[in-house]
This record gives sequence, C-alpha cells and structure tokens, in this order.
Amino acid sequence: MGGKRRKADGDGMEGGEDEDSRQKKMKHKDTLLPSTVKNKERRSAILAKLKHQKKVEKRKNSKAREADEKRALELGEELPPKKIPRTIENTREIDDTVCKPDDDELFAGNDADEFSSILKQDCTPKILITTSRFNSTRGPAFITDLLSVIPNAHYYNRGTYDLKKIVEYAKNKDFTSLIVVHTNRREPDALLIIGLPDGPTAHFKLSRLLLRKDLKNHGNPTSHEPELVLTNFSTRLGHRVGRMIQSLFPQVPNFRGRRVVTFHNQRDFIFFRHHRYIFETKESKQAESKGKNSEDGKEAKSKEKVIARLQECGPRFTMKLISLQHGTFDTKGGEYEWVHKPEMDTSRRRFFL
Amino acid sequence: MPRTTTVESPGCPPFRALTADVLGLVKVIEIRGEQSGDTAKVVERWGEPDSSKSVLAASILDRKTDPLLGVARKTGLIEVISVINGDLRLSIPNVSQDGTSPKDDPITGLHLFKKQRSESSTRSYTLLTCTTNGSVRIESFEDSKSPADFIRDLSPTMLNVCGSGNILCSKVEEHENYALFAGKGVEVNVWDLQKCTKIWTAKSPPKNSLDIFTPTWFTCATFLCEDDHRKFVAGTNCHQVRLYDISAQRRPVMSVDFRETPIKAVAEDLDGHTVYIGNGSGDLASVDIRTGKLLGCFTGKCSGSIKSIARHPELPIIASCGLDSYLRIWDIHSRQLLSAVFLKQHLTNVVFDSHFHTQDVAGSAAEPQDANEVPFQDEDEAMPTKRKKTSKGHGDSRSKKKKSRKASKED
Repeated sequence: MGGKRRKADGDGMEGGEDEDSRQKKMKHKDTLLPSTVKNKERRSAILAKLKHQKKVEKRKNSKAREADEKRALELGEELPPKKIPRTIENTREIDDTVCKPDDDELFAGNDADEFSSILKQDCTPKILITTSRFNSTRGPAFITDLLSVIPNAHYYNRGTYDLKKIVEYAKNKDFTSLIVVHTNRREPDALLIIGLPDGPTAHFKLSRLLLRKDLKNHGNPTSHEPELVLTNFSTRLGHRVGRMIQSLFPQVPNFRGRRVVTFHNQRDFIFFRHHRYIFETKESKQAESKGKNSEDGKEAKSKEKVIARLQECGPRFTMKLISLQHGTFDTKGGEYEWVHKPEMDTSRRRFFL
Repeated sequence: MPRTTTVESPGCPPFRALTADVLGLVKVIEIRGEQSGDTAKVVERWGEPDSSKSVLAASILDRKTDPLLGVARKTGLIEVISVINGDLRLSIPNVSQDGTSPKDDPITGLHLFKKQRSESSTRSYTLLTCTTNGSVRIESFEDSKSPADFIRDLSPTMLNVCGSGNILCSKVEEHENYALFAGKGVEVNVWDLQKCTKIWTAKSPPKNSLDIFTPTWFTCATFLCEDDHRKFVAGTNCHQVRLYDISAQRRPVMSVDFRETPIKAVAEDLDGHTVYIGNGSGDLASVDIRTGKLLGCFTGKCSGSIKSIARHPELPIIASCGLDSYLRIWDIHSRQLLSAVFLKQHLTNVVFDSHFHTQDVAGSAAEPQDANEVPFQDEDEAMPTKRKKTSKGHGDSRSKKKKSRKASKED
C-alpha cells in the first residue's frame, strides 16, 4: 500500500489521472481475478471489461509509438529503436552442431559424402518414384504432381516387390535416388528418400498436402530445370538433409524457365513450395499521405521498382524428418544416424535441423 | 508440451580420450579438471581429413611409459601413433602380402600386444590384424629411424579363421593368450594364440517354436573379465546379447533381447558381470549378464547409432561415440550424462587414456617439456614418463585406456 502511494506521489506530475486509474485497476485486478468469481454472467462481464481495458491500452501505446516515429521523421531525428519481438526462432537453444562457414572439416566431410558426385555434376540425378503397396485416392495425383516437379523422374508401379529388391533393381539401372510415397488412410503420409548406391535413407512425415488442382489460380509448370532454394538448414544434420534434397535436382538450373522450387526449414518442418515467377517493373509513387506531404511529394517522382510476382504451381506440402539411416533401407539391420526420440524434446526451443 | 527436465549434470572427472572417425582424424579430448564445471574440449587433432583414410579399427596400448595407439585405415594402412603427442611411429602400407586388395578385404580388427615377442632391445611392436575374409596375422615390427622403414618379422603367424562368411568382430583377451573371432555367418571361434589352434566354436541356439532359424550374425564381442578367458559376451544383429561359457556348453548360456536394432557395441565392466551395450538407434544400456536383467538405460539425447563404448579402467565413467558425431561421457552408477562433445564427423572408435594426471607431482624428476621433446628414437634413456600437467598447461597427460580390448572389437 505504501508503495502504491509513493508511486502516485512520484508520478503525480505526469498524467496523475492515468496513474491513479491504472493503480485502481491494478488494485482491482489484485482483489478480483475473474477466475475467482463463480457467477458466470458477472465473471464474463468482468473479463470483458478487463479485455477492453487491455485493448484500449495497447492501442494507446501503439498510437504513441507511431506519433513518436512520425515526429522523429519530420524533425529528422533518429528514429527510436525498433523493438524486436521475441519469437521462438529468436530464442532457439544454442546448438553446437550448427555449421560454421570456416569449418574445413565440414568441407572435407562434404567432399566425402554420398552426394558429392552428383553435386559436383559428375553424374545427373535420375529419380525412381514408387509407392507403398496400397495406393489410392490422392496418392496417384500426388505422384503425377511430383513427376512434374522433379526433372528426370520416373514412376514405376510398386507391385509386390520388396523394398530391398527395388533398391537393387534401381542400382542396376543407374538411378541416383529412390523416392517412396507411403499412403495411409488414402492420403499420402510419408516420404522415403533413399540415396543410391549406398546413400542414406531419410524418412519424412508428410502433412498438409495440397495438390495442384486444389490451389486457386495455380500455374502450370514447364519442363525447364528449376532453381532450388534451400533455406535455414543450419545444423550439420540439416546440412546433410539439405544436400540430400539438392541431389534430387539437376545442378544447372535454367533461369530462363523462371521456375523455382523452395524447401524452407522452420522449426524442423520443411515447407515445400513450387512457383513460377516473373520480374516486373512497377511504378510506385511515394507513400501517399494526405495533407502535408502532397507538397513535398512533388520531389517524389514515380520511382520504378522491380518486383517479382509469384504464381504457385505444383503441390504444396510440409515434411518433417523422422529418421535418417546410414545406408540403404534396412529397418532391421540398419544403423541410424539420427532418429527422433521423445526424450530429445527437452525444450520448446530445441530444433535439430 | 513435453515436461522439460533440466537436471544439472554433475561435474565430470578429468579424463583423456581419443576418438577416431571416418575422415581418418584422431582427436584427443580432455577434461583437465582444474575447476569443476570444466567442459570437455578437443585438445588436439591428428591427421588430415581424407575419407579414403577412414579408420576402421583402433587399439590402444595403455601403459605408463610410451603408450601407443594403433589405427587401421580403409586403405589397408596401419599406423602406430604415440598417444602423448601423435608422433607416427610405424606406418605399414599393407599388411597382407598375398595380393588381396584392401578394398575387398578390409581390416576389421586390430590389436597391439603388450608383451614383446622378440627379445631385442629396440622397440618392437606386435600387432594382430584381422580382415573380413578371416585372415589373421600376428606380426612383429621393429622400430627404426623413420616410421616408414621397419623391419618385419620373418615368420608372422597366420591363421585362417573362417571358411565362408565375414568376420565382423575380434577380441584378444587380457593376458593375450586367447582371441575370439565372430561375424556374419561365422560362429564365435576361440583360438589359442600360442599354439595357433582353434579351441572352441559356438553353436547357434536351437530353432524357436515356429521352426524359424535366424542366421548367425555377430556384430560385436568382448571377453567378460580379465582373468577368465572362458566367458565372453557377443551381440548379434538380431538385437540379442549372448553370454557364452567355454567350460559349460557350446550354446549360449544366457541371452538377453534388447530393443529392435542390431547391437553395435558391447563393453564389459570391471566387476565381471555388468556389460554395456549400444545399438543401432543410439540406445545405451547396462545389463547384468549373470541374471539377464536389464539394469537400466542411459538416456540423454543420443540419436545416432553407437559404434564404440569404452570403460575407463579407474574412474566410474564410460564413453560412447557413434554416428551422431558426439562423444558422450556417462556415469556408471547413476547413468547420467556427464559431458558431451560434438566432433563433427561420424566417429568409429573411442579409447581412454588412463594415465592422465592433472596435478603437479611435487619434485618430479623429468620436466614435462623435456619429456615432450625427447625423440623417441633414443633407446631407453628418455622414455616418456607419466606426463604431468603443469599449471602452465604444458605437457600432455595421457590416459591410457585399457580399452584396447574394446577398441579392437569394432566391426
């Protein structure tokens, strides 16, 4: 109580009214939490009032911030420092497996790994796509979409072959990767990417699959080699997965084809998008502000900006890595380089890719 | 939201470990232990990253004076390195002289013998190498001026351990009279090294109730205790750990099933009845092999297959390394993770160097700096003594690991 009174005294100079009411509110909140009121009507009324007050405060704060910024701009002063919101990516746990740019062991490891021959363009990627034994509904549509996304991909019916036999067959026919689309409950569920001849096997879980026909205003992809964008694969494991994905696509993109495939990693989820883009010059006038600036606006000739417009084509899905196995597919006898275990989820800020 | 557990790991006792990886690098990791809360750090790195030189097997000669580490590489090259400072003592390009290329017949086991075979005054090393096709050679090499120049024993002992199948693991017991070999399609064989004869072969367990016979596939093996060459433990590809007793019967005496992926590494404890097993999906556990009971799992974020486990001869810690590129140190009794070091490559072997001292021994005769610079070519006078770490941080202490047993049992 004494503290509160002291505060009121100290801030009496400034908006005393404000402080007072705020303290009254605080006092209110202290003594009357909505959850302590048993009567639903009264409780909801108190809560509504509380929320309204918070909203009003927030709006007031943001208006004040904007006014500050505008004033600083006008007077030519320094802008007040912009506050950075705290996000989960910002507060990610420090990981010592993050790749550093000056790491010679990383480069040596890259030279030695299974994808280096493709990535150095010694051989062109050739992909074999197949499915699990039962494939229905969305599976075949997804496969046709995938065939249009990945150049030099071939689809073979699964039949009743063992996966290990399929791996051998693919090795004999000089394929560089094998993709198995696994369906569960009539919906593609998992993706198994096996590098050949003895590359690692990555098992991904698929979710939120949208086929091309489900997208609004979708575009139709051409057959030019796409550009590949891989973002945010920061750790060693992520780097390895990124190289594996890179080895599926040809290394020489055809820029005139204006086609781009993106694998964006965020919080261990890899988002796949497939766009066609076009560069356009757009005339943008200076920000139209009514009133004062229209005079100064004379100096702002219409500036030409070059922007890229995107049109999404092809499927859209999200992948999450379940396990990465050293060697080709062999669940019983294989050794895993990385397998997700529940005991590894020690914090919400810990990610592995 | 998963319950977050933040257990402060207790401090790790000072140790020194050496790891070998797929790029052929040998890294030395130490905890000095000056202050509690020291983290393990990579102190040295020997070798250049080169994947053709990836290390397949390693064996440490863990002794006070002049400890040595033998590494067998993918190219068939065998190198003997001093544990203290990485000096190359001996470099043998290709052990087998009968023309099989090392690509077809890679080395799977290596053991550096403690006892000298020859009575010469020059330093000599005796090595046992075992390849996948089953040819085992025991040869002595004498040290000479340069590492590439060595004098081979004129009559190496050669054994052919298996007719068909591949040898994946081999182990020499503590007193170096007996050795065991096992692998894919090869039952465990025990050989007497003095007489060069096979004294015992295992028999696979009978068909189970469904009449299914699982083919033999041993992935790792170790002798159970120092004094007894008759008991040993072997891990199979079918996630089983089996205890064999030569004096009892040819079938396994005790069999423990552990999870679902092949057992990739097995290590015995000093008390003679506990073994530590590591499997292909990164689970490390300790099992009492007398009763077959699983004592407990070592949980702690290990996500890659465990390739090698090492038990410190004195301190109650074990080290495990594997395909997730981490070296982890665990406490035996509490099964807690004490320390983890990220080493950037897939690791294949880990050994402890147990003669590692962090305190200054008052009035020690040899100054560490001198001991370091002493050339090894000189006989006898300047044998590197126990390195002591001075307060300045000079000198390396080496802990020799008696994990030579463990180390040479990699597949």
